[in-house]
Amino acid sequence: MTLLVVLALAAITYGSRLSAMVLLPRPSAKVEVVLSRVPAAIFASLATLSLITPERQIVGIPVLIATAAAVVASPTRSFAICLAAGIVGYAASTLVGL
Amino acid sequence: MSEGAPSTARIVATAAPAALAIAVFGVLFGAAARPVIGPGLTFAASFLVFSGATQFATLALAAAGAAAPALLLTAAILNVRHLVMGAVLRPILGPSRMRRGLLAWFMLDETFGFTIMAAERVAPGPMREGIAERTLLVTGICCYVAWLLGTGLGLLGAGVQALSGVADALFPVLFVCLAALTARTTSLALRAVAAAALTAIVCFVAPDWRALAPAVAGLLVALPGDPRREPLQ
Repeated sequence: MTLLVVLALAAITYGSRLSAMVLLPRPSAKVEVVLSRVPAAIFASLATLSLITPERQIVGIPVLIATAAAVVASPTRSFAICLAAGIVGYAASTLVGL
Repeated sequence: MSEGAPSTARIVATAAPAALAIAVFGVLFGAAARPVIGPGLTFAASFLVFSGATQFATLALAAAGAAAPALLLTAAILNVRHLVMGAVLRPILGPSRMRRGLLAWFMLDETFGFTIMAAERVAPGPMREGIAERTLLVTGICCYVAWLLGTGLGLLGAGVQALSGVADALFPVLFVCLAALTARTTSLALRAVAAAALTAIVCFVAPDWRALAPAVAGLLVALPGDPRREPLQ
């Protein structure tokens, strides 16, 4: 990896962030409603990706328990509480040797 | 739905747990990248790219000896979801293209979630646009500083043994936290579960396409249902 490649990676990343935010016209109300349904789905999808390796293996039990603990705490809709629940779940499962 | 504008301190407090997690990822990136690409390029990558997913993925490829086109293609595929996320943010930000362009630098998964969460508490209009822009800016600065500090600590040799296990758990937990923030109705929670199921299917059936799953699944589950029956938040 060279500085040129890093600059190209930066351009791709910033370009992807920039393009829809700057170039798109303001969407219609109907499209806006559809778009408002997307965020939670994207995050749930990303969480799932983190639980399955590229080799199609499920991650270790402590990570699964941490995730389950965060899911249990999710009705609170508090980022900090969900994060704390996940960390406690991970720590507890590691401590008991899972 | 409407509340007053949150103070900067309150926005920082909201972003702090995520920033802490990002700092942990930064330490791991700094420690992992240093022997592969050297300290200078490692810090330059975090300073210029500011994307954990892109940096970790391309670092793994570089360590395996992949050529530049493979690295760039991987980055492009991983960043497809930014197009969808940018389109979601577009209507809740203000009319200034230049301001949106500058704010785009700070659009991460985490800051995107915080911005959506802040905007949904306020009725559409200039006040909501101002709150959304300020939330994106403040949470973005918190996360950027955390990412750079973490990378620096990793480069300086901060212990990563204890952190690596925690980091494995932090990835899914962070995303569950963000899903919880943004799933404000039962319908959205059910769509999130459907997106998770679709992603799991892609991971097992077509693993080569898994990087595109978040953007595609996110859009697919958003389409069903008449938008005219749903009030705009």
